[in-house]
Amino acid sequence: MTGLINAVPTDKPEEYRNVFVFLETRKGAIVKSSLEMIGIGKEIAEKVKEKLVCILVGNDLAPMAKEAGKYGCDKVLGAESPDLEDFKTMPYAHYAAQFISEEKPNIFLIAATHDGRDLASRIAVKSRTGVTADCTVIDIDPNERILLANRPVYGESTLAEILCKNHRPQMATARPGVFKVPDAQDGRNCEKDIRRVRVDPDLIRKEIIGFRPKVEFDITDADIVVSGGLGLGKKEGFQVLEELAKELGGVVGASRPAVDVGWIDRDHQVGQTGRVVRPKLYIAAGISGKAQHIVGMKQSDIIIAINSDPDAEIAKYSDYFINDDVYAAIPELIKEIRKLKGEKEVEIST
Amino acid sequence: MALEIVVMIKQVPDSQEVEIDPVTKTLNRMKARNVLNVADENALEAALIIKDRAESHITIVSMGPPMADEAILECMGKGADRGILLTDRAFAGADTYPTGLTLAAAITKLGKFDIIFAGEETSDSSTGHVGPGVAEFLGIEQITYTRSVRFEDGNVIGERELEDGIEIVRARPPVLITVRLGSNIPRRQTLRKKIDAIKTGVETWTLQNLGIPAEWVGFKGSPTVVRSMKTIKEKERAARKITVSEIGELVKELAGNGVIKMEVEQQ
Repeated sequence: MTGLINAVPTDKPEEYRNVFVFLETRKGAIVKSSLEMIGIGKEIAEKVKEKLVCILVGNDLAPMAKEAGKYGCDKVLGAESPDLEDFKTMPYAHYAAQFISEEKPNIFLIAATHDGRDLASRIAVKSRTGVTADCTVIDIDPNERILLANRPVYGESTLAEILCKNHRPQMATARPGVFKVPDAQDGRNCEKDIRRVRVDPDLIRKEIIGFRPKVEFDITDADIVVSGGLGLGKKEGFQVLEELAKELGGVVGASRPAVDVGWIDRDHQVGQTGRVVRPKLYIAAGISGKAQHIVGMKQSDIIIAINSDPDAEIAKYSDYFINDDVYAAIPELIKEIRKLKGEKEVEIST
Repeated sequence: MALEIVVMIKQVPDSQEVEIDPVTKTLNRMKARNVLNVADENALEAALIIKDRAESHITIVSMGPPMADEAILECMGKGADRGILLTDRAFAGADTYPTGLTLAAAITKLGKFDIIFAGEETSDSSTGHVGPGVAEFLGIEQITYTRSVRFEDGNVIGERELEDGIEIVRARPPVLITVRLGSNIPRRQTLRKKIDAIKTGVETWTLQNLGIPAEWVGFKGSPTVVRSMKTIKEKERAARKITVSEIGELVKELAGNGVIKMEVEQQ
């Protein structure tokens, strides 16, 4: 344990070199968001001619170490034990921090997944350094070797650039899905240092007693979201949206007021107190466009707003604005999609 | 012996009332009322559910300006027994490191604790890093992003929401739990408890009470600094007006661009 102790500026920051990336794994494979970290980690390491070192904690690490090498990692440091098979915060943070104290990296990146955020600030506190959360833009000052960690704040309206000048390593968690997965290549050089460790029993204080793979609805997975608000006027309006969503292969979303009046479950809520979605197509039907909702959907690729109020705020955030009754526009959309599908079917059969 | 539960909360600007400035497109937080962070309401409810079933004593701990006592009183009106506000000018400008340190110092001063609850993140900072930081300072295990928590045979069992499923974790107290936003329906205050809360009042602790140096907390104790704030350029959107009779054309356009897929099954 760290105890009640302050963050301390590092004596000789110039002695801290290389970029560390913590790799999250699942069933013997590196998760996609961690491959994204290899991508951005390699990019900034190359800018200052340093190495990208990946950290693995778990069991049977060899196949994952090999995979990390293919994606461009220069060196893998691993702590391996049957006791580390499952994700456990305390021992995982312990080994990550131990690698930091031995190897003195300048930068340490972790994907901002739930497990990533679970670990990041514990590793930071152990190393008595700072960590910037959920970055979407990451760069390095090539002369000073200062990490430029940028994160969206105030409901994604502002990008804050945050520096950790005097403490090492400079840590950040980075938002999944923002950075590119690098190309995998065979035959790259990658040094491997995987250690069999005996985990201190005092670090094992929780156990995973079950796992249920995701079967339930998650609105953030969908490519197309059709959302409704109070402008639908009635609960049944969501059935019409459901029909359109089904036709499009999408899912139904909702504004907070529509959830609050009980027209639809909270799982469907898009907005600051619901989920933030980034689908290819977002349709907002009968939603006025309060800041609370806009924050949750403005990053969609294409936005269609349907509202009978010509001055509805939502129009400003739309690519297409159908200024008409929802119950005129939605059935027309369904009809036209079906029509087009019909035409396509005919084309193929001839 | 009663379970000692601590719930860490924060008062934040109400996201419902935050307006978007039409010119700068940034959120105008000045006008917003201050409220209890919503995920913290869920954290308190998770603690109260345990208290409903097992004899427990709940202490609210919050770091913030003097007016944040309102949020603490609200928690007491729902069933928390004691409220402590950590307020001192020295605490201002803290990043996640000294925030966690300050909260952990207060919890250490409280003495024995079994379960510490916090919301998964705050709506104004959205880091989710403070809870785990506190657990590290205190040297205890944690179960983050829980959608449900129960106390059974001396163990805490939490269901964690992960990207690919639900992980069920068992830990023996002391343990820190962070609670997912919207994972339960927070109860309302009762008049009786509200009156009791006002009678009991909120205790105020300053830096002096915590016994840690001023350089360790607030802006001085923060390893990170904000260098710049830039408005994120919003994607320019045309708001092209489409009439109902033009919807057919719109659908063709979207299908042509591959935005919507026709997914005709090939025979």
